[in-house]
Amino acid sequence: MAESSKKRRRTNTDDLPFKNKLKPDSAILQTLKDFSTSFSSSSSSSKTLTLQDLSLPFSCREVSDLSLSSVQSNIESLVLRIAHSILSGNGFAFDVPSRAATNQFYVPELDRIVLKDKSSLRPFANISTVRKSAITARILQLVHQLCNKGIHVTKRDLFYTDVKLFQDQIQSDMVLDDVSCMLGCTRSSLNVVAAEKGVVVGRLIFSDNGDMIDCTKMGMGGKAIPPNIDRVGDMQSDALFILLVEKDAAYMRLAEDRFYNRFPCIIVTAKGQPDVATRLFLKKMKMELKLPVLALVDSDPYGLKILSVYGCGSKNMSYDSANLTTPDIKWLGVRPSDLDKYKIPEQCRLPMTEQDIKTGKDMLEEDFVKKNPGWVEELTLMVKTKQKAEIQALSTFGFQYLSEVYLPLKLQQKDWL
Amino acid sequence: MDSSESPTETKKTKSKTPRKNKETVLKQKSPAEFFAENKNIAGFDNPGKSLYTTVRELVENSLDSAESISELPVVEITIEEINKSKFNSMIGLIDCERVDAELYDDYETEKAREKRLAKEARAQEIQAKNAALGKKVKETPASKGIRGRGEASFYSYMQGDNGKGMPHDDIPNMFGRVLSGTKYGLKQTRGKFGLGAKMALIWSKMSTGLPIEISSSMRNQSYMSFCRLDIDIHKNIPHVHVNEKRENKERWHGAEIQVVIEGNWTTYRSKILHYMRQMAVITPYAQFLFKFVSDAPEKNVTIRFSRRTDVMPPVPLETKHHPSSVDLLLIKRLIAETSKQNLLQFLQHEFVNISKSHAERLIGEMGPDFSPKMALKSLTPQQLVRIHQLFRQAKFDDPNGHCLSPAGEYNLRLGIIKELQPDMVATYSGSAQVFEGHPFIVEAGVSIGGKNVKQGLNIFRFANRIPLLFEQGADVVTRTALKRINWSSYKINQLQDKIGIFVSIVSTKIPFKGTGKEYIGDDITEIASAVKYSIQQCCVQLKSKIVKKMQAREQQERKRNLNKYIPDATGAVYNVLKDMAETQLHASKKFRYGDDDGELLRKVSENLITKETLSEKLAKHVEQVDYEMALEYATQSGVSEEPRETIYIQPLETENKIIDLHSPFFVFRMFH
Repeated sequence: MAESSKKRRRTNTDDLPFKNKLKPDSAILQTLKDFSTSFSSSSSSSKTLTLQDLSLPFSCREVSDLSLSSVQSNIESLVLRIAHSILSGNGFAFDVPSRAATNQFYVPELDRIVLKDKSSLRPFANISTVRKSAITARILQLVHQLCNKGIHVTKRDLFYTDVKLFQDQIQSDMVLDDVSCMLGCTRSSLNVVAAEKGVVVGRLIFSDNGDMIDCTKMGMGGKAIPPNIDRVGDMQSDALFILLVEKDAAYMRLAEDRFYNRFPCIIVTAKGQPDVATRLFLKKMKMELKLPVLALVDSDPYGLKILSVYGCGSKNMSYDSANLTTPDIKWLGVRPSDLDKYKIPEQCRLPMTEQDIKTGKDMLEEDFVKKNPGWVEELTLMVKTKQKAEIQALSTFGFQYLSEVYLPLKLQQKDWL
Repeated sequence: MDSSESPTETKKTKSKTPRKNKETVLKQKSPAEFFAENKNIAGFDNPGKSLYTTVRELVENSLDSAESISELPVVEITIEEINKSKFNSMIGLIDCERVDAELYDDYETEKAREKRLAKEARAQEIQAKNAALGKKVKETPASKGIRGRGEASFYSYMQGDNGKGMPHDDIPNMFGRVLSGTKYGLKQTRGKFGLGAKMALIWSKMSTGLPIEISSSMRNQSYMSFCRLDIDIHKNIPHVHVNEKRENKERWHGAEIQVVIEGNWTTYRSKILHYMRQMAVITPYAQFLFKFVSDAPEKNVTIRFSRRTDVMPPVPLETKHHPSSVDLLLIKRLIAETSKQNLLQFLQHEFVNISKSHAERLIGEMGPDFSPKMALKSLTPQQLVRIHQLFRQAKFDDPNGHCLSPAGEYNLRLGIIKELQPDMVATYSGSAQVFEGHPFIVEAGVSIGGKNVKQGLNIFRFANRIPLLFEQGADVVTRTALKRINWSSYKINQLQDKIGIFVSIVSTKIPFKGTGKEYIGDDITEIASAVKYSIQQCCVQLKSKIVKKMQAREQQERKRNLNKYIPDATGAVYNVLKDMAETQLHASKKFRYGDDDGELLRKVSENLITKETLSEKLAKHVEQVDYEMALEYATQSGVSEEPRETIYIQPLETENKIIDLHSPFFVFRMFH
C-alpha cells in the first residue's frame, strides 16, 4: 500500500527542482542510521554537566522537582515566618529572587541560561510593592490549598479564583513564577500547569497517566503533549531523530504525508513559542531515547529565537533551565543560505522590518548564537540580505515540496548546523 | 437627406463659436468688484462668517490704532439684532403681509402640517408618561419656526475705541477704497492688506444697502469728524453722504463705527465669543466690553474682559528689508523709492545687516561693471539680476528681532491665568529666529487644568497677536502638539488632562496658508522646530511641578493604598495558618513545628489569633511606616507644603477709604 502510494506521488512530483539530486530513500536512511548511532554512542559516553561541576565565580539559583509535602512545608514555614513578623508589628516582606535580564547569565559549558542569586525584597508597606506582595501571599495560599488536596489546576483556574485582586492573568502568572523561584521548586511541583499547546506525532509510544499511547495511530493531528510531565513514562521508539517544527502548518503537512513512515522520526511542535510542557517533553524524549534533535524553523530572527528557547531556555524561566533545556539542537532549516540554494523566488521572500533587523543584530550579540560559528554566519547573512522567509515559502514549488524534496535532500546532505 | 444635412449643421456650429469669441470684450474689474465677488478670500464666506470677520477686522484695527499711540486699548462692541420690521423701517420699506401663502418657500402643506401635529402629539404623550412615572422631564426644545431662505437676520454692529482716530480728510478713503492702507510697510502688524474695514462696508452694501457711519477724533483735535459713506464698488471709490466736523468738547479721541450687516448670530455665537476670549488672553492690557442685544432678553450677552496689566508690548518698528528676503521686483521698487544716489549708499541704508565695509565687499564681488559710486539710475536690468543673485548666495547676518513686538511672556502668562484659571501654567519666550530673511519669535504657554477647558489638548494659536480660530487641523502648532511632543515623558496625559497650549508667533511676515489668514503651514522647518522647542521648554517647566504634585498626592494616598491590600494579605496568611492548625489537630504532629510556631498554631486553633488580629497588627505597621515616610518627605521638601492662606491684594484703581482713629499712643486705621 505504502509502496504504491509513494509511487503515485513520485510520478506527480518528478518535475520538482532538485528532485534529481535525491538518492533513493534507502541510501538516505543509511546515512541517518549512521548519524543516529554515532550520536547515541557519543551522548551516552559524555556525562551531562551540572552547575555543581563547574566552579563559577558566582552562585546560581536552580530549582528542582519537589514532592508535594516538601512544597507544602516550605510554604508553611514561610507563612509562619510572615505571621510572626506581622504579629511582632514589623509588617512582612518576601525575599523574591530577581528574574531581571541583569540577573541572567549564559553558561557556555552548560549551553543554557542560568539565574544568578540576586534577589529583591518585596515589603508590604511600600507603595510600589504592596500589590505584588499581596498577590504573592494569595498565590502562596492557593498553592498550599492545592498541595493539601493534591490536585492540579491550570494557570487560568488560578487566575479566576481571585480575579478582583489579580486583575490580569499576566500578573498572577508572573507571581506564580516568582513563587516557584522563591520556594526553589519547578513550576510543575506547584501543581499548576498551563493549558495543552504542543503536539507530537510519529514513531513514539509512551504512557500517559497509565494509558499507552502510540503516536503513529493518533490521526493527523497527533497527540497533545500532557501538561504535567510526571504523568508521562515508558517511552519507546524506533525513530532515528526528532524533528522539531516551529509552525502548525508545516507540522500538518508532515503529519499528513506520514513523513515519519518514510524516515522514522518523531515530529513535535509547540505552535510558536514553546510552553513549559513541550520543552519538558522534548527534554525527556532526548534523554530517554538518546535521539538527535533537528529543528525546522522560519528563516527569521524569531525562528532562531524559538530555537534558542528550546536549546538554552528563556530568561523568564531561567531558574529552571536545567529541566527545561534540550542541548545540542541542530538547525536543519529553513536557513538564510537555503533561500538562494533552493532558488526560492523573490516573491516568496519578505523584506525584514526595522524591528526584525534590530532583533537580528541584537541576537548576534547573544552568547548562545556566538558559540555556534555556523549560526553566526547564517544570521549575519540574514541581516545583510535583509530578507526573511517562512517555512511555507517552500510551498511555492508545490505543497508537498517540503516533505518530498526539501527535507529528504537536507537529511541526505546532513545539512544541519 | 440626413447625410447631406449633418455636415452643414456642423459647419454652422463651427462658424458660430469663433464669432462668439470675437464678441468677448476686454473688461477691467476694480479691486472692490473683485473682492465683492470673491468674498471668501477675505473671510466673508457666508452671513455667519461675515459677522465674525467683521468683528475680527474692526477689533484688530482698534487695537492697532490704540497701540500706535501707546494708549491702553479700550474697545466696546455692541451687536444688536434687528428684526425684519425694524430693518424695513430703517430702510424705509413698509411691511407687507403675505397674501398668497402658497407662493412662499416655507409654506406648510396640509399633509406636512398633519405630520407635524401628529409628531408633536406623540412627543407630548411620551412626556406625559414620563412625568407620570416620576422621571425627570427633559424640556422639549421649543419648536423652531421654520426659517425660509428669505428670512435673513440683520445686525447693527457698533464699536468704539480710544485709539488714534483718523485724519478728517482720509476717512473716506480709509473705508471706501479697497487695497488702500496705512500698514503696508515692513513691520509686524495685525492687519496687512487694507481689506478688513472695506470688506465690512462691501458686505453691508451687498446685504443691507445701508451706509457705514464713522465718528472719529484725533488727539488734541478740537473737532470730531462725522462721516457717513458707502462704496462705489465698480469704481472702487468712496461715495460720501456726509462728512462734517462736529464739536468735540471732551477732547475725546478714538473712533466709533456703526455698520448694519446681514449675519447669523446663532451659528457663529461661540466662534465670536471664543475669539473675544482668546483676544483677551493675548492682550491682557486691553479692556473689552462685548454686548449682544436682541428682542429676546434671554439671548442677550454681556461680557467684560477687564484689563489685568498696564504693561503693553512696545510698538513694532518698521524695519528695512533683509537682503536674503528681497526679490527682483522689490529691488526695483526700492531703487525707485530711495533717496540715495549711488549703489554703496543704497546697499548700506536700504537693507538691514549691511555695513559700509560689507557693502564695499559685496560691490567688489558683483563684478567689474559695478562700482560703489555708480548712480542707481544707471543700473541695467542685467545688473539688477546680478545683485539679486548675489543677495541670494551671499551670507548675511540674521536680522535681529528688535523690530518685533511679541506679546511677552508676562502678558501671555497673565492672559492664560486670567481667562482659563489653570492649576498650573508655564510659559516660554524664544529668541528671534529667521526664515527666508524674516525674523520671527515664538512664544508658548502650556497650562494644565482650569475652568471651561476640555479634556485633552486645547490649542490656542496666535499670529502677530491675533487669535486664529479656523482650519486648526493643518496648522503647524496643532501638528506639532499632536505628533511631535511626547506628552507622557512630561508626565502629562494627553487624553485625560486638561491641557491648554498657547503658541504665539510674531513676524514681519507670517507665512499664512490658504486664502483666509487662518493657519500657518507645517512646511517651514524653522518655524516648526521653534514651535516644538518652545512647547517642550514649557513642558520641562511643568514636569517638575507635576512630579512634585504627584509625590504630594502619593503622600496623601499612600496609607489608603496600603490599607486597601491588608485584607487580601492577611486573609491569605490566616487561611494557611488555619489549615495548618487543623491538620495539626488531626494528625497530632506536634513536633513538626518549633515551640514558637506550635504556640502560634495553638492560638490560631483556639481563635486567640484571628484574621482581624493580623489585620490590626499590619495596619499598625502601615501607619507607622506612613508616618515615617511623611516625616521624611516633609524634611526633604521643606516647609513649602505649609497650609496656604489666601491673601487679598488691593485693587490698583480704587482709592483707599480709611478712617484713622488717633490716640496719644497709637493710630487705629480702619479700611472700608
